Amino acid sequence: MADPLVAEAASRTDLTATTGASARAIECFLASTGELRGCAILGPGGVLAASGGAGKWAESGQALLDAADGAAGETATQAHVATEEGEAFAVRAGDLSMVAVASRFTLASLVFADMRAALRDARSAGPVAEAG
Amino acid sequence: MQKPHRLVLDRMSGYADEAAAYVRRRRLTRKPFARVYTRGGGGGTHSAETEGGRELFLAAARLIDTAR
Repeated sequence: MADPLVAEAASRTDLTATTGASARAIECFLASTGELRGCAILGPGGVLAASGGAGKWAESGQALLDAADGAAGETATQAHVATEEGEAFAVRAGDLSMVAVASRFTLASLVFADMRAALRDARSAGPVAEAG
Repeated sequence: MQKPHRLVLDRMSGYADEAAAYVRRRRLTRKPFARVYTRGGGGGTHSAETEGGRELFLAAARLIDTAR
């Protein structure tokens, strides 16, 4: 039987997905807390799954990852930027990356743990397919 | 002399008041920040005055707009 929290999160976010495992991973991630506003999983060829329009997430998500790499001077594994409008998170695991937006004052350690779990779930389906 | 359960209630509400005040102070004083972590557990904070920090805040603002 489908988890009602997951079903509610999927309807709330107008899920766009190109791979089933990534879509399920972000459904579960968004269902984990009501403080998350949206997220996307990015593979080598672009967005694998996103809440909302994949095109916008591809551009802005990659921009955050690039900015994190530039600030660190090497490949960043995690980034957390807190602003007045909300909090942006990015996590890299192998050839997959995930970006997410949460409300202010969300517990960052929990968000990072959930993002890493989502990336593990997305990866569990096997090799990452190139996004179209 | 107070009844024992009154004493416990007073103490618990005292703790709750302290916690609420701590959260209020944290919300009022917390400023925007950007932290980046690298392989091996290293990481650093980047202020908006640096070039890298400014790029991070701009990219985060765009991402936050995407989620609206």
